[in-house]
Order: sequence, then C-alpha cells, then structure tokens
Amino acid sequence: MISVYYFGAIALVLIGLYAILVKKNLLKILIGLSIMETGVNLLLISIGYVSGRSAPILSEGIGPSQAVDPIPQALVLTAIVIGVATTAMALSVAMLIYEKYGTLNIEEIRRLRG
Amino acid sequence: MNELLIIIFAPLIAGVIAWALDIKILRELTGIVGAVIPLSYLIYLYPTIDAGKTIQYTASFAGFKFNFALTQLSWIFAMMAGVVGLAAVLGMASTARSSYEWLFALMSLTGVFGIFLSYDLLAFFIFWEVMTFGSFMMVLKYNKSASLKYFILSVIGAYAMLIAIGIIYARVGSFSFIQVYNAFAQDAALGMVGGETLFSRGEMAAIFGLFLVAFGVKAGTFPLHVWAPDAYSETNQSYTAMFSGVLSKTGVYGFILLYMLMGYRLMAEFGTFRSVPKFGYIIAFLGGLTIIVGGLLAALQEDIRKLFAYSSISQIGYILVAIGVGSALSIEAGIYHAISHALFKGLFFLIVATIIYRTGKTEFKDMGGLAEKMPLTFAMAFVAILSLAGIPPLVGFASKWLIFEAVISQNMPILGGMVFFGSAIGFVYLIRFTYAVWFGQRPTDLNDVKDAPLPLAIGMGILALLNVVFGIAPGLVAGELNKIIGKDVIGGTIWELDIGVGKYNGLLITIWLVIGLLVAAIIYFLGARVRRVPVTDTYQSGNPVTMDYNLTIRRNFFLPLKEALSFWLRISFDKLYRDIAKTTEDFADTLRNYVYNGNVQSYAWYLAIILLILAMWGV
Repeated sequence: MISVYYFGAIALVLIGLYAILVKKNLLKILIGLSIMETGVNLLLISIGYVSGRSAPILSEGIGPSQAVDPIPQALVLTAIVIGVATTAMALSVAMLIYEKYGTLNIEEIRRLRG
Repeated sequence: MNELLIIIFAPLIAGVIAWALDIKILRELTGIVGAVIPLSYLIYLYPTIDAGKTIQYTASFAGFKFNFALTQLSWIFAMMAGVVGLAAVLGMASTARSSYEWLFALMSLTGVFGIFLSYDLLAFFIFWEVMTFGSFMMVLKYNKSASLKYFILSVIGAYAMLIAIGIIYARVGSFSFIQVYNAFAQDAALGMVGGETLFSRGEMAAIFGLFLVAFGVKAGTFPLHVWAPDAYSETNQSYTAMFSGVLSKTGVYGFILLYMLMGYRLMAEFGTFRSVPKFGYIIAFLGGLTIIVGGLLAALQEDIRKLFAYSSISQIGYILVAIGVGSALSIEAGIYHAISHALFKGLFFLIVATIIYRTGKTEFKDMGGLAEKMPLTFAMAFVAILSLAGIPPLVGFASKWLIFEAVISQNMPILGGMVFFGSAIGFVYLIRFTYAVWFGQRPTDLNDVKDAPLPLAIGMGILALLNVVFGIAPGLVAGELNKIIGKDVIGGTIWELDIGVGKYNGLLITIWLVIGLLVAAIIYFLGARVRRVPVTDTYQSGNPVTMDYNLTIRRNFFLPLKEALSFWLRISFDKLYRDIAKTTEDFADTLRNYVYNGNVQSYAWYLAIILLILAMWGV
C-alpha cells in the first residue's frame, strides 16, 4: 500500500505537469510549475520521514536516534529558495513578454519559432 | 641546431619575420632568404646523400619522439619543393599583396619540407596539417567558398589518415617508419606461411582505403579532385605554382610511402592482377580516370587559371598510374614525372601569374596577341607548352615516355589507353592556351602591356632552364632515381635513357632539332622577303577583320566537344557533393519544422515522454 504522502506529492507533480503540457496561458503554466515544485518538495520531505520521530533539532531528550532524516530538509530548504528565484525570474519574463506581444497566449507568441 | 630542422623551419621563421616586419622590400627579401636557405642546405648535403648515407635526427617533444631523416627519395622530393618553392616565392615578390600571404605561403613550404623529411607517422601527420593550414589560409584570403570546399575535403582526408595511423599505432606500438616497416614485413612473411598475423585482412583493407582517401584528396585523385580547380584558381597565382607543383606531390609521396611501408603486406594479402599488385591497380585505375576527367574538363574551360588547374589534376593522374603499376621502372617513371610536373606546372602558373599581373584579365576571350608585347614570358610559355605536351628535347617527354614504356611493358591495355588519351587531350587544351593568349588579334586595351617584372622573370627562368636541362640530359634525373631502387633500372649515360626495350637520347634529338631549325631558318630567310604584319591586318573571306570580331578560338572553341559530352558533364561529383549537402540541410529543415518547432509546450511534452519511458524502463 503506497503511503498517502507519496501519493499526494506525486499527484501534485502530475497536476503541475498537466498544467505545463496543456494550458495555453503563460501564467497558468507558471502556476503549474510552482505546483510541481511544491510536489517535489513534499516528496523529498516525505522520503526523509521516519514514523514516530520528531524534528531533527538536538535538544533535551531528543538525540540523533529520535530525529527524522535531516538531509532532505536541508535539500528542500535549498530547493524552495531556488524555486522562488526561478518563479520570480519567470514572472518578470512573463511581464516583458506581455509588454512586447500584448498577449500571454503561448500559441500567439511566435518569436521563438524558426 | 640540426641541419634537417633548419631545412624544415627556415621558411616558417622567415615567414613570421616577414609578417611581423611588414616593410615593403624587407619582407620580400626575408621571404626569398627563407626559401633559399633550405635549398642551399639540400645542395650542400648532396655529397652525403650521394654516398648512400642517410642523415637522421630525433627530436623529443612532450613525451613524443619525432624522427627526421633525409634519404635518397626524400632528398629528391625535397629538392623539388626547394626549387619550385624558390621560384614561386620569387614570383610572389611581384604579386603578393600583403605580409599575410608571405606568412602562410612560407608556412605551407615548411609543411612540405616536414612531410618529405619526417621519418615517423606522427611527424608526417603534423606537417601534413601545417601544410594544409597554410594553403587553406592562402585560398581563404582570395575566395571564401573555394577555401571552404578545400578545407572540408582536406579535413576528411586528414581524419582518414589519423584513423589509419591510429590503427597502425594500436597494433605496432610505434610511429617510427622503421618499426612500422618491420612489423608489416614480418606480417607479410607470417601471412605467407599461414601464421598468426598482427593485422587482419579487414584491417589491412581499412588502412589501405583510409590512406587512399587521405593521399587521394591531396593529390587530387578522381573523385576527390573537386577542391583543386577552385583552390588552384582562386589564390595568388605565384603561390599556385607551389600549390600545384609541390603540395600536390605530397599525396604522390604518400602513395610511394604506402609502397615502402606496407607494399609487401598488401601484395601478399590481396594478390596481384595481371602481374600488378591489386592495391596498386586500384591507384592506377583511379589515376587513369583522373587523367581523362581532368583533361576533358581542362579543354572546356574559359578561364586560364581553371584550365591549368584541371590540367594539373590530369597530369597528377599520370603519376598515379605510374606509381600504381608498381614495377621498379614505373615507380621511377612516376617520380620522374612528379619532378617534370613540378617544373612545368610551376612554370605555367608563374606565366599565368605574369599574365594576370600585367593585364588583370583571366579569361581567354579578353586576350590575344600577347607574344609581341611579352616576348620573354612567351618564350617561357613556349618551353612550358612543349614540356607539358611532351615534345622531345624537354623534360616532359622523357618522363611521359618512361610512363608509356612502363605501362606497355606490363601489358595494361586499359591504362595504356587512358594514358595515351590523356596525352591527346593535353594537346587539345594547350593549343587553346597557345593561340588564344599569344597569337591572333590583340584587344586594343592590351596595347601597352609590359613584360614580366624582374623577380617573376627570374623565377620563370629557373624553372624553364631546368625544364630544358633535364630534357636534354635526362640521365641526370634517372641517375638519382636509380639510387632509390638500388640498381640501374634506367640505364644509359646522362644524355641517354636506356630501358632495355628502347632508348631515348636527349642530346641527339636536340642536335637534330637545332639542325632542322637552322635549315628552316635558311629557307625562311632566303625565301620570300619578310614583311612585318600587324596582328590586326588579317582578312577573312576577302574582308578585313574588325576589332569587334573575335577569333573563335578565344571563346567556346571546344563547344562541339562540350555538346558531345553534355550527358557526362551532367554527372558531376561537385554537384553530387552539393546535393548531399542540400539534402542534409533539407532534413534539418524538416526537423526544425516538426520537431524543434519553437513551441515550449512541445519541448515539455518531449521531456515528459522521455521521463515516462525511463520510468517504464525502471531506471
């Protein structure tokens, strides 16, 4: 039986992928990208979860053997920052595209095509 | 510093100095000095070589050992490069436009010396590339598309050679000619008795095929000749004297090396065909096709430079036929023709350089009657024409006669026919050059044309003198050639060639020719009173010929030939290569329309599909 965390995370990724593949509005694609990113982050976190343990902060009563895996958390922290940065950059590009073409429909933005 | 390295690098150093200085007269002087030094060293080393010694030198660089050696064979080829190189450099003193040309012309001369003197495959390859680079840059300066065509075919040849060298190195473990030769000789002996050989049959075929492509490109063998007409014609014509005279000989030298290094092995592996080794027969047959294709196309050209470019290809065909036939006599004949081709083709291109330098025109239709205005150049052209056509007292006759005898004595009817056809077609295009440029009406704008400038005249003089000397005393060359084989294949004195089935005495023929000319002169001067006729004083059907009437030899003279050949002319390898390029481009266009269509979402789809495939694969 697949864990509900995995199922949810992968479902989020697939929803994001669906938006990227099918939606025509640039902003919707960016939203899809963000959803996908969230799904990936959740997946990473849920990989590190060990049932019944607490946060990996060494304090009174909590030693290394009682904490969940800290590595995915560090990874996800980095991935969140990267995700925010790429989203910000993509949004600014979307703004420029709208200024230049007056549309956000990717079918109508023809410049990239040969 | 060793004398071999001086011979190899003197031109390059002089070229760099000339390029850096870039002062009008100084750079010409440096360039000429750079071409004189190797030549004088080669002459200085002659007694050592003559005594049968080999001068060797080994240089270590970056963990590799580079061997250089001056043997009898490489001395002959290096002398060819030295003499024609000097003549071409003298010509460049008149025609070179910038110091750029000095640098790269001398760089390619360094490459040629390096190829002839190197004694291992790695040094051979490196100098091969130095030569290609220098000549590519020379063509690039004048015509970009011609240089690209030359570059692409050269790169194909270079990669072919590199792969072949790689296969040899992987098995033998050394680049040195001596060790490679020993390995192949041992292999041939083992193969004969059915032992375990180093190289398999397939590998030998691959090595031979790759070398055939590599040397064939440089020599201009059919069907890899397509670069030559463009590259020869679209550069400084003085440089072309060296390009066509010497650089193409590196391919010929490569084929001779093929015989020297792996001839036994190839013969033992693939057997013989009518007493000629089969692999040599392939070279000879390609050479025969080269003669015919080059000769016919030369006859149809309207541009002097193109005519001689195709004629150069055609003449290289003779050398390949002779080398391919592979008897001792035919290999000597091939090297002899390489020498005479270097001499007369170098001379021809210097003449073309003079004509273009003085008139600024390149097509037959704009020329005529130049013999009167440029008597010295005309005299040189006369020597060159007689030599290429193979008229007795000149060097071209001696070498072509040897090739004919070599081919006939091996009973090769098809090759013989090709060689004879090549000689006939040689007359066809030379008549065009003779009459259209030197005789007939002179267009009025050529009335104040001057004769050749001094450096060009000296360059032409050197080559013309050697054409005559080696023609009257063919034994001078034959004696040196005999030392390569180690026995008197071509007997006789220095005036006479004796190959058992026939004799040719250059001196005797010259004497008879002079007597004949004297008799003709006596009849001429005692006969009708000489009247000077201006070239425009010509009548046709009772009417004076006006200036706007063009004598037909200048324009489309061989039109009937062209029409007769129209079916074959449509089959052009040049076009085939262009079609291949076009198809590739079309395919890329299709890809761009349907696959790389610029739609971000379709790229996302590709990614998703690939991820899906990987997931199903279980990665």
